[in-house]
Amino acid sequence: MVISDHDFGQIRDFIYTICGMYFHTSKKYFLESRLARRMEATGITACHDYFLLLKSSRDSKELNLLMDEITTNETYFFRNPSQLSVFETMLLPEVLELKNKMGFRKLRIWSAASSSGEEAYTLAMILLEKRATVLKDWIIEIDGTDINETVIAQAKKGIYNAYSVRNIPDAYRHKYIREANGAFILSPEVKKLVTFNKLNLYEDAKMVFMKSFDFIFCANVLIYFDAASKSKVVQHFYNNLQPYGYFFVGQSESLHGVNDKFRTVHFPGCFGYIK
Amino acid sequence: MDRNLMMERAEILVGSVDDLPTIPIVATKVLQLLDDHDVCIDDIADLMLTDQVMTARVMKLLNSPVFKPTQDISSLKRALVYLGLRHIRELALTTSVIHAFEGTSGALELNSFWEHSFGVGMVSKIIAQKIGYQDLEKAYISGILHDLGEVFLSNFLHDPFMEVLMHVKTHPIKLVDAEAMLLGTTHCEIGLSMARKWNFPESYCDVIAYHHNPGQAKIDPVLCSIVNLADLFCTVRGLNYGGREWISFKVCEEDAWTILIEAYPGMAQMDEERFCYELDDAIPDVTALVASIFDHN
Repeated sequence: MVISDHDFGQIRDFIYTICGMYFHTSKKYFLESRLARRMEATGITACHDYFLLLKSSRDSKELNLLMDEITTNETYFFRNPSQLSVFETMLLPEVLELKNKMGFRKLRIWSAASSSGEEAYTLAMILLEKRATVLKDWIIEIDGTDINETVIAQAKKGIYNAYSVRNIPDAYRHKYIREANGAFILSPEVKKLVTFNKLNLYEDAKMVFMKSFDFIFCANVLIYFDAASKSKVVQHFYNNLQPYGYFFVGQSESLHGVNDKFRTVHFPGCFGYIK
Repeated sequence: MDRNLMMERAEILVGSVDDLPTIPIVATKVLQLLDDHDVCIDDIADLMLTDQVMTARVMKLLNSPVFKPTQDISSLKRALVYLGLRHIRELALTTSVIHAFEGTSGALELNSFWEHSFGVGMVSKIIAQKIGYQDLEKAYISGILHDLGEVFLSNFLHDPFMEVLMHVKTHPIKLVDAEAMLLGTTHCEIGLSMARKWNFPESYCDVIAYHHNPGQAKIDPVLCSIVNLADLFCTVRGLNYGGREWISFKVCEEDAWTILIEAYPGMAQMDEERFCYELDDAIPDVTALVASIFDHN
Protein backbone atom coordinates (compact mmCIF):
# COMPACT_ATOMS: atom_id res chain seq x y z
CA MET A 1 0.00 0.00 0.00
CA VAL A 2 1.23 3.48 -0.83
CA ILE A 3 -0.05 6.51 1.07
CA SER A 4 -0.01 9.92 -0.57
CA ASP A 5 2.21 12.54 1.05
CA HIS A 6 -0.87 14.46 2.05
CA ASP A 7 -2.48 11.51 3.87
CA PHE A 8 0.85 10.60 5.42
CA GLY A 9 1.24 14.14 6.74
CA GLN A 10 -2.28 14.16 8.18
CA ILE A 11 -1.95 10.84 9.97
CA ARG A 12 1.58 11.60 11.11
CA ASP A 13 0.48 14.91 12.63
CA PHE A 14 -2.53 13.27 14.25
CA ILE A 15 -0.38 10.58 15.87
CA TYR A 16 2.02 13.26 17.05
CA THR A 17 -0.69 15.28 18.79
CA ILE A 18 -2.06 12.15 20.42
CA CYS A 19 1.15 10.56 21.69
CA GLY A 20 4.12 12.78 20.87
CA MET A 21 5.67 10.23 18.54
CA TYR A 22 6.88 11.70 15.27
CA PHE A 23 7.34 9.76 12.05
CA HIS A 24 10.03 11.13 9.76
CA THR A 25 9.35 11.04 6.05
CA SER A 26 12.03 8.38 5.92
CA LYS A 27 9.84 6.19 8.16
CA LYS A 28 6.86 6.46 5.85
CA TYR A 29 7.22 2.85 4.74
CA PHE A 30 6.94 1.77 8.38
CA LEU A 31 3.74 3.69 9.00
CA GLU A 32 2.40 2.42 5.68
CA SER A 33 2.90 -1.21 6.58
CA ARG A 34 1.28 -0.80 10.00
CA LEU A 35 -1.63 1.18 8.58
CA ALA A 36 -2.11 -1.45 5.92
CA ARG A 37 -2.64 -4.11 8.60
CA ARG A 38 -5.26 -2.03 10.39
CA MET A 39 -7.01 -1.08 7.18
CA GLU A 40 -7.22 -4.70 6.18
CA ALA A 41 -8.60 -5.61 9.58
CA THR A 42 -11.24 -2.91 9.40
CA GLY A 43 -12.01 -3.52 5.75
CA ILE A 44 -11.32 0.09 4.78
CA THR A 45 -9.68 0.64 1.41
CA ALA A 46 -9.09 4.40 1.23
CA CYS A 47 -6.50 5.93 3.50
CA HIS A 48 -8.54 9.07 4.00
CA ASP A 49 -11.53 7.03 5.23
CA TYR A 50 -9.30 5.29 7.72
CA PHE A 51 -8.07 8.66 8.96
CA LEU A 52 -11.69 9.71 9.53
CA LEU A 53 -12.33 6.53 11.49
CA LEU A 54 -9.25 7.19 13.62
CA LYS A 55 -10.41 10.69 14.40
CA SER A 56 -14.01 9.82 15.03
CA SER A 57 -13.83 6.63 17.05
CA ARG A 58 -15.19 7.91 20.31
CA ASP A 59 -13.61 5.43 22.68
CA SER A 60 -10.29 5.66 20.79
CA LYS A 61 -10.61 1.94 20.15
CA GLU A 62 -9.21 2.06 16.65
CA LEU A 63 -6.54 4.50 17.73
CA ASN A 64 -5.40 2.12 20.45
CA LEU A 65 -5.25 -0.76 18.02
CA LEU A 66 -3.17 1.28 15.62
CA MET A 67 -0.89 2.41 18.45
CA ASP A 68 -0.33 -1.23 19.37
CA GLU A 69 0.77 -1.94 15.82
CA ILE A 70 3.07 1.06 15.80
CA THR A 71 4.68 0.63 19.18
CA THR A 72 5.17 -3.10 19.40
CA ASN A 73 8.73 -3.10 18.35
CA GLU A 74 11.52 -5.45 19.02
CA THR A 75 14.40 -3.46 20.34
CA TYR A 76 18.08 -4.05 19.67
CA PHE A 77 21.56 -3.19 20.93
CA PHE A 78 23.09 0.21 20.03
CA ARG A 79 19.73 1.44 18.83
CA ASN A 80 20.26 5.18 18.96
CA PRO A 81 23.82 5.95 17.82
CA SER A 82 23.79 9.75 18.13
CA GLN A 83 22.36 9.56 21.63
CA LEU A 84 24.95 6.98 22.67
CA SER A 85 27.78 8.94 21.15
CA VAL A 86 26.73 12.12 22.97
CA PHE A 87 26.41 10.11 26.18
CA GLU A 88 29.83 8.53 25.81
CA THR A 89 31.95 11.39 24.53
CA MET A 90 30.27 14.47 25.93
CA LEU A 91 28.06 13.85 28.95
CA LEU A 92 29.70 10.95 30.71
CA PRO A 93 33.09 12.74 31.01
CA GLU A 94 31.28 15.85 32.23
CA VAL A 95 29.32 14.01 34.93
CA LEU A 96 32.33 11.93 36.02
CA GLU A 97 34.48 15.01 36.40
CA LEU A 98 31.85 16.70 38.51
CA LYS A 99 31.33 13.67 40.75
CA ASN A 100 35.08 13.24 41.11
CA LYS A 101 35.31 16.79 42.41
CA MET A 102 32.57 16.08 44.93
CA GLY A 103 34.23 12.82 45.96
CA PHE A 104 31.38 10.55 44.72
CA ARG A 105 32.65 7.51 42.87
CA LYS A 106 29.37 5.87 42.06
CA LEU A 107 27.57 6.13 38.73
CA ARG A 108 23.85 5.36 38.59
CA ILE A 109 21.92 4.84 35.37
CA TRP A 110 18.29 3.87 34.90
CA SER A 111 16.96 2.20 31.80
CA ALA A 112 13.23 2.73 32.37
CA ALA A 113 11.04 0.24 30.52
CA SER A 114 14.11 -1.79 29.72
CA SER A 115 12.21 -4.51 27.82
CA SER A 116 14.51 -7.46 27.12
CA GLY A 117 17.53 -5.47 28.32
CA GLU A 118 19.25 -4.36 25.12
CA GLU A 119 19.52 -0.70 26.07
CA ALA A 120 20.78 -1.37 29.60
CA TYR A 121 23.39 -3.83 28.35
CA THR A 122 24.48 -1.46 25.58
CA LEU A 123 25.23 1.16 28.23
CA ALA A 124 27.02 -1.47 30.30
CA MET A 125 29.31 -2.34 27.39
CA ILE A 126 30.15 1.31 26.80
CA LEU A 127 31.00 1.77 30.47
CA LEU A 128 33.06 -1.43 30.65
CA GLU A 129 35.34 -0.01 27.96
CA LYS A 130 36.23 2.73 30.42
CA ARG A 131 36.85 0.46 33.36
CA ALA A 132 40.62 0.77 32.98
CA THR A 133 40.59 4.56 32.65
CA VAL A 134 38.01 7.10 33.79
CA LEU A 135 35.84 4.55 35.58
CA LYS A 136 38.63 2.80 37.44
CA ASP A 137 37.54 2.10 41.05
CA TRP A 138 34.03 3.41 40.39
CA ILE A 139 30.88 1.63 41.46
CA ILE A 140 28.60 1.27 38.45
CA GLU A 141 24.89 0.59 38.91
CA ILE A 142 22.58 0.19 35.94
CA ASP A 143 18.94 -0.44 36.83
CA GLY A 144 16.67 -1.91 34.21
CA THR A 145 12.96 -1.86 35.01
CA ASP A 146 9.89 -3.00 33.14
CA ILE A 147 6.29 -3.79 33.95
CA ASN A 148 6.37 -7.00 31.93
CA GLU A 149 7.77 -10.02 33.77
CA THR A 150 8.37 -12.08 30.65
CA VAL A 151 10.77 -9.51 29.22
CA ILE A 152 12.47 -9.08 32.60
CA ALA A 153 13.16 -12.82 32.63
CA GLN A 154 14.57 -12.59 29.09
CA ALA A 155 16.77 -9.68 30.10
CA LYS A 156 18.15 -11.58 33.06
CA LYS A 157 19.02 -14.52 30.82
CA GLY A 158 21.04 -12.35 28.47
CA ILE A 159 20.60 -14.52 25.39
CA TYR A 160 19.67 -12.81 22.14
CA ASN A 161 18.84 -13.45 18.49
CA ALA A 162 20.65 -12.19 15.41
CA TYR A 163 18.25 -9.26 14.96
CA SER A 164 19.00 -7.87 18.44
CA VAL A 165 22.76 -7.95 18.05
CA ARG A 166 23.05 -6.86 14.41
CA ASN A 167 24.09 -3.29 15.22
CA ILE A 168 26.74 -4.03 17.81
CA PRO A 169 30.09 -2.64 16.61
CA ASP A 170 32.62 -5.42 15.97
CA ALA A 171 34.97 -4.38 18.75
CA TYR A 172 32.21 -4.81 21.34
CA ARG A 173 30.81 -7.92 19.75
CA HIS A 174 34.11 -9.79 19.89
CA LYS A 175 34.63 -8.90 23.50
CA TYR A 176 31.21 -9.30 25.03
CA ILE A 177 29.13 -11.67 22.87
CA ARG A 178 29.60 -15.37 22.31
CA GLU A 179 27.71 -17.20 19.60
CA ALA A 180 26.42 -20.73 20.22
CA ASN A 181 23.98 -22.59 17.96
CA GLY A 182 22.62 -19.41 16.44
CA ALA A 183 22.06 -17.75 19.82
CA PHE A 184 24.08 -14.80 21.04
CA ILE A 185 25.16 -15.03 24.65
CA LEU A 186 26.18 -12.02 26.69
CA SER A 187 29.36 -12.23 28.73
CA PRO A 188 29.01 -12.36 32.55
CA GLU A 189 30.96 -9.14 33.07
CA VAL A 190 28.33 -7.17 31.12
CA LYS A 191 25.47 -8.87 32.94
CA LYS A 192 27.06 -8.15 36.30
CA LEU A 193 26.67 -4.39 35.84
CA VAL A 194 22.90 -4.48 35.35
CA THR A 195 20.07 -5.35 37.74
CA PHE A 196 16.57 -5.96 36.39
CA ASN A 197 13.41 -5.46 38.41
CA LYS A 198 9.72 -5.31 37.76
CA LEU A 199 8.37 -1.78 38.11
CA ASN A 200 5.20 -0.04 37.06
CA LEU A 201 6.15 3.51 36.14
CA TYR A 202 2.66 4.59 37.07
CA GLU A 203 2.85 3.33 40.64
CA ASP A 204 3.88 6.27 42.79
CA ALA A 205 4.69 4.26 45.88
CA LYS A 206 7.34 2.21 44.06
CA MET A 207 8.71 5.05 41.98
CA VAL A 208 9.94 6.96 45.02
CA PHE A 209 12.55 4.26 45.61
CA MET A 210 14.26 4.91 42.30
CA LYS A 211 16.59 7.60 43.64
CA SER A 212 19.57 9.69 42.60
CA PHE A 213 20.23 8.75 39.00
CA ASP A 214 22.92 10.43 36.94
CA PHE A 215 21.30 9.35 33.67
CA ILE A 216 17.79 8.15 32.91
CA PHE A 217 16.83 6.63 29.55
CA CYS A 218 13.19 6.05 28.76
CA ALA A 219 12.60 5.18 25.12
CA ASN A 220 9.24 4.66 23.38
CA VAL A 221 7.21 4.21 26.54
CA LEU A 222 5.59 7.55 27.27
CA ILE A 223 3.50 7.02 24.17
CA TYR A 224 1.46 4.46 26.08
CA PHE A 225 0.30 7.03 28.61
CA ASP A 226 -2.30 9.76 28.25
CA ALA A 227 -1.29 13.36 28.90
CA ALA A 228 -2.03 13.33 32.64
CA SER A 229 -0.23 10.06 33.34
CA LYS A 230 2.64 11.05 31.11
CA SER A 231 3.12 14.20 33.10
CA LYS A 232 3.00 12.22 36.36
CA VAL A 233 5.57 9.67 35.15
CA VAL A 234 7.89 12.36 33.83
CA GLN A 235 7.65 14.17 37.16
CA HIS A 236 9.04 11.04 38.82
CA PHE A 237 11.95 11.00 36.41
CA TYR A 238 12.50 14.65 37.22
CA ASN A 239 12.51 14.04 40.96
CA ASN A 240 14.84 11.08 40.77
CA LEU A 241 17.43 12.66 38.50
CA GLN A 242 20.51 14.30 40.01
CA PRO A 243 20.63 18.09 39.55
CA TYR A 244 23.47 17.65 37.04
CA GLY A 245 21.99 14.55 35.39
CA TYR A 246 20.51 13.97 31.94
CA PHE A 247 17.22 12.45 30.84
CA PHE A 248 16.68 10.96 27.38
CA VAL A 249 13.56 9.80 25.57
CA GLY A 250 13.28 7.75 22.36
CA GLN A 251 14.41 8.83 18.94
CA SER A 252 11.08 10.22 17.80
CA GLU A 253 9.49 11.35 21.03
CA SER A 254 9.03 14.72 22.65
CA LEU A 255 8.19 16.05 26.11
CA HIS A 256 6.59 19.12 24.62
CA GLY A 257 3.54 20.05 26.64
CA VAL A 258 4.19 17.22 29.12
CA ASN A 259 6.53 18.86 31.55
CA ASP A 260 7.73 22.44 31.72
CA LYS A 261 10.42 21.85 34.35
CA PHE A 262 12.79 19.84 32.21
CA ARG A 263 14.78 21.97 29.80
CA THR A 264 15.75 20.75 26.35
CA VAL A 265 19.45 20.62 25.46
CA HIS A 266 20.34 20.15 21.81
CA PHE A 267 23.28 17.92 20.93
CA PRO A 268 24.65 16.77 17.59
CA GLY A 269 21.93 14.56 16.13
CA CYS A 270 19.72 14.36 19.21
CA PHE A 271 18.51 16.17 22.28
CA GLY A 272 18.19 15.44 25.96
CA TYR A 273 16.68 17.06 29.03
CA ILE A 274 18.17 18.64 32.13
CA LYS A 275 16.71 20.07 35.30
CA MET B 1 38.66 41.02 22.08
CA ASP B 2 37.90 44.58 21.06
CA ARG B 3 35.39 44.61 18.24
CA ASN B 4 36.89 47.76 16.69
CA LEU B 5 40.33 46.19 16.55
CA MET B 6 38.90 43.07 14.93
CA MET B 7 37.05 45.23 12.41
CA GLU B 8 40.21 47.19 11.64
CA ARG B 9 42.12 43.97 11.07
CA ALA B 10 39.34 42.64 8.85
CA GLU B 11 39.41 45.81 6.72
CA ILE B 12 43.15 45.49 6.28
CA LEU B 13 42.93 41.81 5.35
CA VAL B 14 40.09 42.28 2.87
CA GLY B 15 41.77 45.39 1.45
CA SER B 16 45.06 43.57 0.94
CA VAL B 17 43.60 40.97 -1.39
CA ASP B 18 43.93 42.09 -4.99
CA ASP B 19 41.86 39.36 -6.56
CA LEU B 20 38.85 39.49 -4.28
CA PRO B 21 36.03 37.96 -6.32
CA THR B 22 33.63 40.49 -7.73
CA ILE B 23 29.89 40.38 -7.95
CA PRO B 24 28.91 40.34 -11.64
CA ILE B 25 27.91 43.70 -12.97
CA VAL B 26 24.55 42.33 -14.06
CA ALA B 27 23.68 41.49 -10.46
CA THR B 28 24.36 45.04 -9.37
CA LYS B 29 22.28 46.33 -12.26
CA VAL B 30 19.40 43.99 -11.48
CA LEU B 31 19.45 45.19 -7.91
CA GLN B 32 19.33 48.82 -9.03
CA LEU B 33 16.63 48.17 -11.58
CA LEU B 34 14.46 46.47 -9.00
CA ASP B 35 14.57 49.54 -6.79
CA ASP B 36 12.93 51.41 -9.62
CA HIS B 37 9.20 51.11 -9.02
CA ASP B 38 8.16 51.40 -12.65
CA VAL B 39 10.26 48.50 -13.83
CA CYS B 40 8.58 45.79 -15.86
CA ILE B 41 9.34 42.12 -15.99
CA ASP B 42 10.56 42.29 -19.59
CA ASP B 43 13.31 44.74 -18.68
CA ILE B 44 14.58 42.51 -15.91
CA ALA B 45 14.38 39.38 -18.05
CA ASP B 46 16.30 41.07 -20.89
CA LEU B 47 18.98 42.22 -18.53
CA MET B 48 19.34 38.89 -16.77
CA LEU B 49 19.48 36.98 -20.02
CA THR B 50 22.71 38.78 -20.82
CA ASP B 51 24.26 36.73 -18.03
CA GLN B 52 23.83 33.10 -18.96
CA VAL B 53 25.38 31.80 -15.78
CA MET B 54 23.02 33.77 -13.62
CA THR B 55 20.02 32.72 -15.66
CA ALA B 56 20.95 29.07 -15.40
CA ARG B 57 21.42 29.36 -11.68
CA VAL B 58 18.12 31.07 -11.12
CA MET B 59 16.35 28.35 -13.09
CA LYS B 60 18.07 25.61 -11.12
CA LEU B 61 17.27 27.15 -7.78
CA LEU B 62 13.69 27.65 -8.83
CA ASN B 63 13.17 24.05 -9.79
CA SER B 64 14.79 22.85 -6.58
CA PRO B 65 13.01 21.49 -3.52
CA VAL B 66 13.29 24.87 -1.81
CA PHE B 67 10.72 26.47 -4.06
CA LYS B 68 8.89 23.29 -5.04
CA PRO B 69 7.07 24.63 -8.10
CA THR B 70 4.00 22.61 -9.06
CA GLN B 71 5.31 22.28 -12.59
CA ASP B 72 8.71 22.63 -14.21
CA ILE B 73 9.51 26.25 -14.90
CA SER B 74 11.33 26.43 -18.18
CA SER B 75 11.58 30.06 -19.19
CA LEU B 76 13.16 32.91 -17.30
CA LYS B 77 10.19 35.18 -17.83
CA ARG B 78 7.90 32.56 -16.42
CA ALA B 79 10.25 32.25 -13.50
CA LEU B 80 10.04 35.98 -12.86
CA VAL B 81 6.26 35.88 -12.93
CA TYR B 82 6.21 32.88 -10.63
CA LEU B 83 8.56 34.40 -8.12
CA GLY B 84 7.61 38.03 -8.23
CA LEU B 85 10.09 40.84 -8.67
CA ARG B 86 11.13 41.13 -5.06
CA HIS B 87 12.30 37.55 -4.92
CA ILE B 88 14.36 37.99 -8.05
CA ARG B 89 16.49 40.50 -6.23
CA GLU B 90 17.29 37.92 -3.60
CA LEU B 91 18.00 35.24 -6.16
CA ALA B 92 20.24 37.50 -8.20
CA LEU B 93 22.23 38.25 -5.09
CA THR B 94 22.58 34.63 -4.04
CA THR B 95 23.46 33.23 -7.42
CA SER B 96 26.09 35.93 -7.85
CA VAL B 97 27.71 35.14 -4.56
CA ILE B 98 27.79 31.45 -5.36
CA HIS B 99 29.31 32.30 -8.72
CA ALA B 100 31.91 34.60 -7.20
CA PHE B 101 33.42 31.78 -5.19
CA GLU B 102 32.99 28.96 -7.62
CA GLY B 103 36.12 27.20 -8.74
CA THR B 104 38.13 28.57 -5.85
CA SER B 105 39.84 26.21 -3.49
CA GLY B 106 40.40 26.78 0.18
CA ALA B 107 40.66 25.18 3.57
CA LEU B 108 36.92 24.51 3.62
CA GLU B 109 35.23 22.26 1.15
CA LEU B 110 32.93 24.50 -0.85
CA ASN B 111 30.09 21.99 -1.00
CA SER B 112 29.90 21.61 2.75
CA PHE B 113 30.06 25.37 3.07
CA TRP B 114 27.02 25.81 0.85
CA GLU B 115 25.20 22.96 2.53
CA HIS B 116 25.55 24.80 5.80
CA SER B 117 24.60 28.11 4.21
CA PHE B 118 21.52 26.83 2.38
CA GLY B 119 20.59 24.82 5.46
CA VAL B 120 20.66 27.94 7.59
CA GLY B 121 18.77 29.76 4.84
CA MET B 122 15.98 27.20 4.79
CA VAL B 123 15.77 26.93 8.56
CA SER B 124 15.74 30.73 8.87
CA LYS B 125 12.81 30.78 6.50
CA ILE B 126 10.98 28.13 8.53
CA ILE B 127 11.54 30.03 11.79
CA ALA B 128 10.46 33.27 10.12
CA GLN B 129 7.31 31.54 8.95
CA LYS B 130 6.57 30.10 12.40
CA ILE B 131 6.84 33.44 14.17
CA GLY B 132 5.22 35.53 11.46
CA TYR B 133 8.25 37.62 10.48
CA GLN B 134 7.17 39.85 7.62
CA ASP B 135 9.82 39.04 5.00
CA LEU B 136 10.44 35.32 4.52
CA GLU B 137 12.69 35.78 1.50
CA LYS B 138 14.91 38.13 3.41
CA ALA B 139 15.27 35.57 6.18
CA TYR B 140 16.13 32.93 3.60
CA ILE B 141 18.80 35.03 1.87
CA SER B 142 20.26 36.27 5.14
CA GLY B 143 20.72 32.68 6.18
CA ILE B 144 22.48 31.88 2.94
CA LEU B 145 24.83 34.83 3.22
CA HIS B 146 25.57 34.87 6.95
CA ASP B 147 28.91 33.04 6.83
CA LEU B 148 30.31 34.79 3.77
CA GLY B 149 33.44 35.71 5.72
CA GLU B 150 34.34 32.03 6.13
CA VAL B 151 34.92 31.66 2.40
CA PHE B 152 37.36 34.55 2.50
CA LEU B 153 39.25 33.07 5.45
CA SER B 154 39.26 29.70 3.80
CA ASN B 155 40.59 31.01 0.47
CA PHE B 156 42.90 33.88 1.36
CA LEU B 157 44.14 32.92 4.82
CA HIS B 158 44.47 29.26 3.99
CA ASP B 159 47.17 28.11 6.41
CA PRO B 160 46.23 30.11 9.52
CA PHE B 161 42.59 29.14 8.93
CA MET B 162 43.58 25.47 8.71
CA GLU B 163 45.08 25.91 12.17
CA VAL B 164 41.80 27.36 13.40
CA LEU B 165 39.90 24.36 12.00
CA MET B 166 42.32 21.95 13.65
CA HIS B 167 42.04 23.80 16.93
CA VAL B 168 38.23 23.58 16.86
CA LYS B 169 38.40 19.87 16.19
CA THR B 170 40.57 19.21 19.22
CA HIS B 171 39.29 21.78 21.72
CA PRO B 172 35.82 22.51 23.04
CA ILE B 173 35.67 26.00 21.53
CA LYS B 174 33.36 27.70 19.07
CA LEU B 175 34.72 28.42 15.60
CA VAL B 176 34.09 32.15 15.94
CA ASP B 177 36.02 32.29 19.25
CA ALA B 178 38.91 30.28 17.84
CA GLU B 179 39.11 32.73 14.92
CA ALA B 180 39.25 35.72 17.27
CA MET B 181 41.93 34.02 19.32
CA LEU B 182 44.18 32.80 16.51
CA LEU B 183 43.50 35.28 13.69
CA GLY B 184 42.70 38.44 15.60
CA THR B 185 39.45 38.81 13.70
CA THR B 186 36.47 36.64 12.77
CA HIS B 187 34.34 35.71 9.78
CA CYS B 188 31.78 38.26 11.03
CA GLU B 189 34.04 41.31 10.57
CA ILE B 190 35.59 39.91 7.40
CA GLY B 191 32.13 39.21 5.98
CA LEU B 192 30.94 42.69 6.87
CA SER B 193 33.92 44.26 5.19
CA MET B 194 33.26 42.25 2.01
CA ALA B 195 29.53 42.92 2.05
CA ARG B 196 30.23 46.66 2.24
CA LYS B 197 32.64 46.43 -0.66
CA TRP B 198 29.93 44.71 -2.67
CA ASN B 199 27.31 47.27 -1.65
CA PHE B 200 25.01 44.76 -0.01
CA PRO B 201 21.81 46.19 1.48
CA GLU B 202 22.30 47.26 5.10
CA SER B 203 20.14 44.59 6.71
CA TYR B 204 22.25 41.82 5.14
CA CYS B 205 25.41 43.52 6.41
CA ASP B 206 23.81 43.50 9.85
CA VAL B 207 23.19 39.75 9.78
CA ILE B 208 26.68 39.00 8.50
CA ALA B 209 28.21 41.09 11.29
CA TYR B 210 25.96 40.14 14.20
CA HIS B 211 24.65 36.62 13.67
CA HIS B 212 26.69 35.49 16.66
CA ASN B 213 25.60 38.41 18.86
CA PRO B 214 22.11 39.36 17.76
CA GLY B 215 21.76 41.59 20.82
CA GLN B 216 24.23 44.04 19.28
CA ALA B 217 22.52 44.21 15.89
CA LYS B 218 21.95 47.74 14.67
CA ILE B 219 19.18 47.37 12.12
CA ASP B 220 17.18 44.19 12.55
CA PRO B 221 17.91 42.26 15.77
CA VAL B 222 14.98 39.95 15.04
CA LEU B 223 16.44 38.94 11.68
CA CYS B 224 19.86 38.39 13.28
CA SER B 225 18.23 36.27 15.98
CA ILE B 226 16.41 34.13 13.42
CA VAL B 227 19.67 33.42 11.63
CA ASN B 228 21.48 32.85 14.93
CA LEU B 229 19.02 30.15 15.99
CA ALA B 230 18.90 28.61 12.53
CA ASP B 231 22.70 28.41 12.66
CA LEU B 232 22.58 26.59 16.02
CA PHE B 233 19.90 24.16 14.88
CA CYS B 234 21.75 23.35 11.66
CA THR B 235 24.94 22.77 13.59
CA VAL B 236 23.34 20.14 15.82
CA ARG B 237 21.57 18.59 12.86
CA GLY B 238 24.78 17.80 11.02
CA LEU B 239 24.86 20.71 8.54
CA ASN B 240 28.04 22.10 10.02
CA TYR B 241 30.87 21.91 7.50
CA GLY B 242 31.25 18.22 8.18
CA GLY B 243 31.21 18.39 11.96
CA ARG B 244 33.46 21.34 12.63
CA GLU B 245 32.47 22.03 16.23
CA TRP B 246 31.21 20.01 19.15
CA ILE B 247 28.26 22.01 20.29
CA SER B 248 25.26 21.81 22.58
CA PHE B 249 22.81 24.55 23.50
CA LYS B 250 19.60 25.36 25.32
CA VAL B 251 17.33 27.51 23.24
CA CYS B 252 15.82 29.24 26.27
CA GLU B 253 19.23 30.53 27.37
CA GLU B 254 20.14 32.10 24.03
CA ASP B 255 19.93 35.89 23.63
CA ALA B 256 18.33 35.31 20.25
CA TRP B 257 15.47 33.46 21.92
CA THR B 258 14.83 36.33 24.34
CA ILE B 259 14.80 38.80 21.44
CA LEU B 260 12.34 36.68 19.43
CA ILE B 261 10.04 36.07 22.41
CA GLU B 262 9.93 39.80 23.08
CA ALA B 263 9.05 40.54 19.48
CA TYR B 264 6.74 37.54 18.99
CA PRO B 265 5.39 36.20 22.31
CA GLY B 266 3.70 33.29 20.52
CA MET B 267 7.13 31.85 19.84
CA ALA B 268 7.29 30.64 23.46
CA GLN B 269 4.88 27.88 22.51
CA MET B 270 7.18 26.46 19.84
CA ASP B 271 7.68 22.71 20.06
CA GLU B 272 11.48 22.62 19.83
CA GLU B 273 11.71 18.88 19.66
CA ARG B 274 9.25 18.49 16.86
CA PHE B 275 11.04 21.32 15.12
CA CYS B 276 14.21 19.24 15.21
CA TYR B 277 12.44 16.25 13.72
CA GLU B 278 11.16 18.43 10.91
CA LEU B 279 14.71 19.55 10.31
CA ASP B 280 15.80 15.95 10.00
CA ASP B 281 13.27 15.69 7.19
CA ALA B 282 14.51 18.88 5.51
CA ILE B 283 18.18 17.93 5.52
CA PRO B 284 18.04 15.60 2.49
CA ASP B 285 16.37 18.48 0.58
CA VAL B 286 19.23 20.80 1.41
CA THR B 287 21.82 18.28 0.35
CA ALA B 288 19.96 17.63 -2.89
CA LEU B 289 19.66 21.35 -3.56
CA VAL B 290 23.36 21.99 -3.12
CA ALA B 291 24.20 19.00 -5.27
CA SER B 292 21.92 20.37 -8.00
CA ILE B 293 23.51 23.82 -7.88
CA PHE B 294 26.96 22.41 -8.44
CA ASP B 295 25.92 19.85 -10.98
CA HIS B 296 27.39 21.12 -14.24
CA ASN B 297 25.70 18.71 -16.60
